[in-house]
Amino acid sequence: MEVKQSNNKSAKTLFLKDFWPLYKKRVLGLVLALQVVAGLAIILLFMSIDRQNPYLGWGLLSAIIIGQLVAAYVLTSAILRPLHDLSKALVHVSGELTAETPPSLNDDYYANNNLRPLLQQIYELASKNTDTPTAEKTAASSSLNVSSALNTTATGVVLINDQGKIVFANKSAPVSTGPNGEEKLDLVFDVDQPLAEWLVECRSHDIHAERTWKRIANKLPGDENRRLFDVFASYEKGSEAEVVITLFDRTNEYSPEEEDLDFIAFAAHELRGPITVIRGYLDGLNDELSQAMNSEQKELFNRLIVSANRLSGYINNILNASRYDRRHLQVHLTELSLADIYETIADDMKLRALAQRRLLSVNLPPSLPNVAADLNSISEVLGNLIDNAIKYSNDGGSIEVDATVNGDFVEVSVTDHGIGMPANVIGNLFHKFYRSHRSRETVAGTGIGLYISKAIIESHGGKMNVRSVEGHGSTFSFSLPIYATVADKIAKTGANNQQFVEHSSSGWIRNHGAIRG
Amino acid sequence: MAIHSILIIEDDRFIGEMYVRSLQKAGYSVDWMVDGNDGLIAARNKPYDCILLDLMLPEKRGGEILQILRGQQDLIPNTKVVVLTNFDQDEHSRLAMEHNADAYLIKAEITPKKLLSVIEKLSAS
Repeated sequence: MEVKQSNNKSAKTLFLKDFWPLYKKRVLGLVLALQVVAGLAIILLFMSIDRQNPYLGWGLLSAIIIGQLVAAYVLTSAILRPLHDLSKALVHVSGELTAETPPSLNDDYYANNNLRPLLQQIYELASKNTDTPTAEKTAASSSLNVSSALNTTATGVVLINDQGKIVFANKSAPVSTGPNGEEKLDLVFDVDQPLAEWLVECRSHDIHAERTWKRIANKLPGDENRRLFDVFASYEKGSEAEVVITLFDRTNEYSPEEEDLDFIAFAAHELRGPITVIRGYLDGLNDELSQAMNSEQKELFNRLIVSANRLSGYINNILNASRYDRRHLQVHLTELSLADIYETIADDMKLRALAQRRLLSVNLPPSLPNVAADLNSISEVLGNLIDNAIKYSNDGGSIEVDATVNGDFVEVSVTDHGIGMPANVIGNLFHKFYRSHRSRETVAGTGIGLYISKAIIESHGGKMNVRSVEGHGSTFSFSLPIYATVADKIAKTGANNQQFVEHSSSGWIRNHGAIRG
Repeated sequence: MAIHSILIIEDDRFIGEMYVRSLQKAGYSVDWMVDGNDGLIAARNKPYDCILLDLMLPEKRGGEILQILRGQQDLIPNTKVVVLTNFDQDEHSRLAMEHNADAYLIKAEITPKKLLSVIEKLSAS
């Protein structure tokens, strides 16, 4: 055992650097020995010339020359052998095809000249570095067509150059060709163009950057072949492909959540059941008991009705906001008069104003041009604005609903003379769940009404505005396109657009239409 | 076509009773079925003037019932169908259903009084 250990030790003490001194010493020794032999031979030659024997002289000269040639060959071979073995070893690990066999470490020759550690090191480095191509790999990669290989994967790969142009996109990448032949990525982000914005930021600040977006669809809901991706983008300044975008197809994972597990729709269904009964019986009992109730009881009864109606309105707001967030919100534009739209919520609004002692005056003359609107959605917006005006005004305050023609639009305004808002609140007003600090304490609400109202108006191609003076009241207004100005467009875009004309020829009635609680 | 007889297919007891009560008060003859299978059998066995059809029903969904009654051919040409639901369908399925129905109403959005006015309108058309 001890012997073996000492053997191992002696083997270990042999370093790579031990080769060179020994090799140099031996080469020098051999070369010097050759010189000495050659010198002695020449001296011998001169001595023989002295004896005037030309045959002996020529014979010796020939022997010296032949001897020198043989010695030079043997010497050179001996000196070059380590170099030859190293080169053979390197050729072997490089994977190049060769007829020569690689040097074997077990050869005693390597033990004598300290070359073994060097060869061992070469073989070790080669086996560690698996990236070193072997003969087969080299042959394969040289004939590999990267783009055709990438076309077989379900993962999208897109390369974008520093001009922002797509220079490569594989088959799975959601890319379409535009009218001018340029390729563009089909991705529907939550906000406008975050990829482009990120790129601008990268170009100004970064050398290398990475970014991930999850659950990004290539099409709007309901479109055929809609896919959902996790998008990974990497940026490298100065690279041939400045941006590499990898799109992992997660459709199977995400789409069940999107379509089947529509939690909010189910929750709304459950909530609406009891509301149906409450509203139904309140309405019926209000008639049946009207003779028996005194005026205070009647007022309290009205509050019950108003509260139940509001509850139902909140559920619609939440459903629509959820649809809008998932890009499911669709508006069906038809030709409608504003008076007709208001008519669907008039009873409810009058009751709300009455229950909270507000004076509601609605001035929507029949002379106004008809607008292109979704009846259900716009009545929801109008209801939200009137309800807010009631909430944020004072007892006995008046609320005016007016409309004017402004270019191709009809502008509807809802004005109250209530508490108003400071300027810093107005900027946040249309954010989801935003409620001003003060209103949180005094007024009930979800903070979702203005958010969805703005979304609905913008889906119609209109705009939402607000003017307010703190302590003096607010005016919320929205614009809707005059039907005549957009009739052609609506007819043309058809069902392909998010907005399409409603076909009412079948004669069915919807409570999104003429009938509404 | 005047409406006299009405079939209600509705699984919510409170809602069903509420509609039965107000429709009977208004003078209609009303049958009420609680599950989808019974509802479909009733709709095929007796010629009603109007069917009030819920969608989220046990045994057989309202959508299936409507498909059987009106999908291939109109098995009930003399009957008006009012879809009454609280479930917020996606646009696509709602439009498909509206195509086969005479009215499509969200229950929470209408009171029995409004329902009566819808039936009167359908009755007049």
